[in-house]
This record gives sequence, C-alpha cells and structure tokens, in this order.
Amino acid sequence: MVELKNITKVFNRNRPDEFTALEDVSLLVEERKVTVFKGPSGSGKTTLLSIVGAMAKPTSGRVLVGAREITSLPERFLTEVRRRTFGFIFQQFHLIRGISALENVMLPAYTTGEKHAALRERALRLLELFGLSAKARARVEWLSGGEAQRVTIARALVNDPKVIIADEPTAHLDTKLSKDFLGIMERLNAEAKTILIASHDPLVYESTMVDHIIEMRDGRIRGSGPAE
Amino acid sequence: MPTRKSTIFFVLAGLGAGALAVMVAHAHYRHQKAQAAWNESAALVKRLDLTDLCLFTDARYARHPSMADRHTPFQDSPMAMEHFPSGTLISPPPHLRPQ
Amino acid sequence: MSLHERHRNIIDFALSSLGRRWKKNLALTVVYAFVVFTLASVVFFTEAVKSEARAVLRGAPEIVVQRLMAGRHDLIPESHIDVLRKITGTRQVQGRLWGYYFEPSTGANYTVVASGEPPLEPGTIAIGQGVARTLNAGEGDLIPLKGSKGDYASFEVVRVFSHESELVSSDLIEMHADDLRAFFGVPEDYFTDITLKVRNEKELVVVADKIRRLLPDTRPILRDEILRTYDSLFDWRSGLLLVIFAGAVAAFVIFAWDKATSLSMEERREMGVLKAVGWETSEVIAMKSWEGIIISLAAFFGGTVLAYVHVFFSSAFIFEPVLKGWAVLYPRFQLVPQIDPYQVLALFFLTVVPYTVATVIPTWSAATVDPDSIMRL
Ligand SMILES: Nc1ncnc2c1ncn2[C@@H]1O[C@H](COP(=O)(O)OP(=O)(O)OP(=O)(O)O)[C@@H](O)[C@H]1O
Ligand SMILES: [Mg+2]
Repeated sequence: MVELKNITKVFNRNRPDEFTALEDVSLLVEERKVTVFKGPSGSGKTTLLSIVGAMAKPTSGRVLVGAREITSLPERFLTEVRRRTFGFIFQQFHLIRGISALENVMLPAYTTGEKHAALRERALRLLELFGLSAKARARVEWLSGGEAQRVTIARALVNDPKVIIADEPTAHLDTKLSKDFLGIMERLNAEAKTILIASHDPLVYESTMVDHIIEMRDGRIRGSGPAE
Repeated sequence: MPTRKSTIFFVLAGLGAGALAVMVAHAHYRHQKAQAAWNESAALVKRLDLTDLCLFTDARYARHPSMADRHTPFQDSPMAMEHFPSGTLISPPPHLRPQ
Repeated sequence: MSLHERHRNIIDFALSSLGRRWKKNLALTVVYAFVVFTLASVVFFTEAVKSEARAVLRGAPEIVVQRLMAGRHDLIPESHIDVLRKITGTRQVQGRLWGYYFEPSTGANYTVVASGEPPLEPGTIAIGQGVARTLNAGEGDLIPLKGSKGDYASFEVVRVFSHESELVSSDLIEMHADDLRAFFGVPEDYFTDITLKVRNEKELVVVADKIRRLLPDTRPILRDEILRTYDSLFDWRSGLLLVIFAGAVAAFVIFAWDKATSLSMEERREMGVLKAVGWETSEVIAMKSWEGIIISLAAFFGGTVLAYVHVFFSSAFIFEPVLKGWAVLYPRFQLVPQIDPYQVLALFFLTVVPYTVATVIPTWSAATVDPDSIMRL
C-alpha cells in the first residue's frame, strides 16, 4: 500500500539546531492490516506518520503510495493524493470550533467540488454510524471527549480513504473510551481499511486486532514483527 | 434540508446588485424629469447673466468662485485653516491656482 | 465535481467561519459601511452638483470682463464698453450690475442683481426662496432694505423664484437697474462688470486676448472657465474630500492593522487543520478571500445605497451643518441624482479590493504552513 525507502528526515538543516528525526527508515505498510508504531517520546513516530500520510516531504528517500512515487510531486498533487488516500485522526482532535459537528465532518470534502446535497447525506450517515445523529447540529466544543473523537473519525472517513492514520488516538481518553475507539478501528479494518496508529499506550499495542508492531527509537526502526 | 448559507449570500448579493440597478434607473428617471427645471434655471441664468451656483452664502469668494480675484482668501494648501468654513470645503477655481 | 460547487462549498464554510464571531464581524461591517457611506455621499453630492452646474450654467455669459484696481475687483467705467464694442467678433456688449447685501436683522447675505429683459417695474423686486425664507416674506409683501446712505427703501415682492431653481436663485434679489444704482450708490457711468457675446465661439480665446491687450486693467472670464471652476470645485484638494478621504483611509488602516496583528493562534491552527485534512494553500486563501469579499461587499452595497438615499432623498442632511458653515441663508436644493458608472465601479474596487487584500495578506504565511505542523500542536 505505502512503501518507504531509505527515508531520512532532518529538521533545521544546516543550522546549529539541526536534528535528524528519522534516519534511513525503510518500511512497507501492508494493505488491510493494522500497524502500530510504538516507542518512547521523541523517537520519530509522528514524523514518520506525517511522511507516510503525504503531509510532509522527507529530506531524502522515496515514498510510494500504491505504485506511485509521491516524493517529487508538487504540492497540488500531493494534496490530492493525501485527500484521496488518507484519513487523519489527530491526538488533539483538531476540530474547528464554533461550527457544527456536521460541517466539521464535511470539511475535507468541500474542496473536491462534490455536490453539496450528496456530501451532506454522506456526512450525516457517518455521524449516524457513530451514534452522533443527535449531535450533528451541535457546535463541536459542546461535545464530550468521546463524541469529539468520533466526529474526528467521521471526518477522517468522509472522503472514503483507504488508509486511516491515527497519532496517539487514546492519549486523551479513559480506558472505556479507548476500548470503544479500538472497537471502531477493528470495524473499519474489517471493512478493508488499512490502519496505522502511533501510540505508547499498552491498551493499543497489546490489542488483539493489531497485526503488526513497529518499534522505534532515536529515529530508527528497532524492531518489527507481528503482534503476539 | 435547510437553505445553504451560500444561497442566502447569493440572494443578498443579488438584492444588493438589484438595489444598485434600481438606483441607476431612478437616477436616469429623475434626470429625464429634471430637464424642464434645468431649462428654467438656465433661462434664469441667461436672463440675469448669472455666473455661479448658490452653494454657499457666507463668503463672496464661495458664493461666486468663478468671479474671485487673486486676493481672495482661498488658500491653496489642503491643510490651510480659513476664516469662512465654506472656504475650506471647496478648492480654489483653476484660474487662481499656481500654474 | 465543478469549480462552481467547490467555491460554493468554500463560501459556505467562510460564512460559517464568519458566523462564529458574528458580533465582531457585524460591527466591522457596520463601521466599514459607514466609511463607504460617507465616501459615496461625497461622491454622489459633488457629482450631482457638477452635472447641475453644467446643465444650468450653459446659460452664463460667454465672456465676463472684470476690472481690477490695485488687485481688487472694482467698478468698470462705461467707456470700456465702447472699447469692447470695437473689437471685431464681439456683439451684445452690456454692463452688468450686481452686488452683495448684508441684511442686519437676520444676518444673512444676499446677492442683488439688476433686472434682465423684461425688466421689473421700479420699486419692485423678485426674490429667491432662501431670501423669502429668511425674511419670512412672500409675493405682495413690502420689504425695507437699508441703502448705502443709511436710509431704508421699501420694495414690493412681485415674484418668488421657483424652488426648482434654488441652486442658482436662492439668495437673489432682482431689482430694476436704476433702483440698484440708487440703492448701492453706484455712479451713473459705472457697472459692476461687463458681459459680452462673440459672433463665432471659436474666436472666444482670440477675443479674450484682444481684451487683455486693449484693456490691461481687466480680466476676461470665459464661460468655459466658469464651467471648469465647478468641475474642480470639489476635487481632491477641496477640504470636503480631503477630510473625509483622510478619515476613510485612517479607518481602513486601522482595520488592516487590526486584521494583520490579530490573526490569533486559533486562526492559525484552523488553517493548519484545513491544510491537514486536504485543502490546498490556494483553497485556504480563497476561503479567507471570500471572508473579506463577503464583509466588504456587504459594506459596499449597504454604504452605497444608504448614501444614495441620504444625498437624494434627505438632501444630504448629515452634510448640512458642514455645508452651512456660518451662512444664515442655506440654500435648500433637491439635487438631481447623477450616477457615473465609473465612479460606482471605482468605489466598488476601492471598497472590496483593498479590504480583501488586507484580509488575505496576513493569512498568507499561515496558509502556507506545512500540513504536518498541525500534528505537533
Ligand atoms: N519542526 C521540527 N523542528 C525541529 N525538531 C523537530 C520538529 N518536529 C519534530 N522535531 C523533533 O523530532 C523528534 C521526533 O519527533 P516526533 O514528534 O516524531 O516524536 P514522537 O515519537 O511522535 O514523540 P511523542 O511520542 O512524544 O509524540 C523530536 O525530538 C522532536 O523534537
Ligand atoms: Mg508524536
């Protein structure tokens, strides 16, 4: 699905505070699998996910999405690939405050030029799927943490991406909500979505649904193997 | 399904443009209607040999700017303070400006 | 999958985004609309005065010859008329009598002019609407006026000029030439100035040159100059435009400065989110542009329409105290609307473009953030 070849990411290049966040990382993300990245804070998980998800460009190395090399694409095409292929769930949710849950879910599809009525219909169905029909009109800052996260998931799914990327999704959730989240991910995985999660929450990487665990340290992959 | 916000925006923008069109039409209509009154005024101007509009009556150079001589208090500087308020509102006629 | 639908979606979002701080945005729109309103009012007012001047002053004398003595406008001797008559190309050379009269009891200034053809009966006057208002007089009333010798002479009002002609006649008192001479004490063989016509309008300039040569103590004023006077009476150097323009510019600069400096962390974060969920930089900027366009368009329409109503339906009542100045006699004329499409277009661009640009520019750097930056917030 996504393949990284010899990826290096250097921040603040040629400056006194130059920092190599990723060093020579190669990796193949398998389709329809749940992969978890774990490792201590600062080990490069977020950086890696942003490169996999076509959000950031590596300093060197190549990224292939499907069979397509995206490292050299100009911004416009990169955005297009990102929008079609990936759905993001952020640790801080990053919903747009002051507007309704429904509009937040519709947001990533606004710029595709899709017909408004059809888009709205689809967003409402996604909200219904997560039991949020009653909250569609509510402003997002009135939602509870769990509800907010489910809106975030709905937003990640609105463009029907093949890959879901979640960075520390359970950091702000209690155990029950974390389990709910994993349940949803399992369901999505069953619907043929590829799932990538960065987390140092044992609840996540010890979960039975995880197919693959990649362990990171100091910007390198230290170990990789199927979940036990 | 509720009305889209953009629809409301387009409708309001259309109304604004419409109001502008009504304004233009109204101006045109009033123009047509004013011809008679203007002819009357022009005839009066001709009969009495008038030279200026009666916009201000406080100072003579503001009452008859086209007749003003070089030594009227027009001060050809945008920030000049003047005795008569009307003198600060209008600019000196072309014949009094430095060439 | 159309461009149209994409922009409608973006407008939807821009409106939702504005709606969140609707009180602030409404206040902003109202203030901005007020700035546009003042500017548009001045434009409408001055354009209407200009067009009216062109329409009614076409009846003005072709040439007015004014005598200057020691730098002041002075009475012109009758002998000058004969000199002017001899210039080839001139016809209808006439002495003109007029002057100013300060009415002590009301404190108003009037313009007294000698009767044209057909002349008024001696002892009678025709007055403008403004005179009638300040003296509280009408047809048939006897009005005492204080002459140059300190004595009062009474004149009977036989006519009041129409309201429609007030822009030229408001402060006029028309009386018989003999009455005027006696009243002001103008010597028999003198006039205020001399008007003349030429046979061929193309020769106006040549004739004016000849006048200047033959009568070096005079200044010929061409009708064209009179018209030009009114074309430039309210140009950018006039205080009316300057004060208001300076105000508008200051207000606008404050807006722009406020916009540029008040791009909050929250707004930056939002633009990052949009980028992260798949908006392009250009789309984020388009969204911000729409925000600016929506506000400035509302201000433009609101301000322009209100200005039109203000100037042409309420006789520019907000300007009244400014225009009135110290004048006791304030002409009340209903201006005829004159809309120059270019002026409206200029107003449109002046309103919408700078504001939109000022909205967009500060967001530029925020809109070009790398989408991944949001993952670290
Ligand atoms: N823009 C940047 N400029 C400089 N250094 C950066 C930048 N972004 C990340 N880093 C550094 O890169 C390293 C890897 O960061 P990253 O966010 O990928 O770690 P992480 O594994 O996600 O950590 P955590 O578990 O705390 O989220 C960190 O040391 C971080 O300080
Ligand atoms: Mg991280």
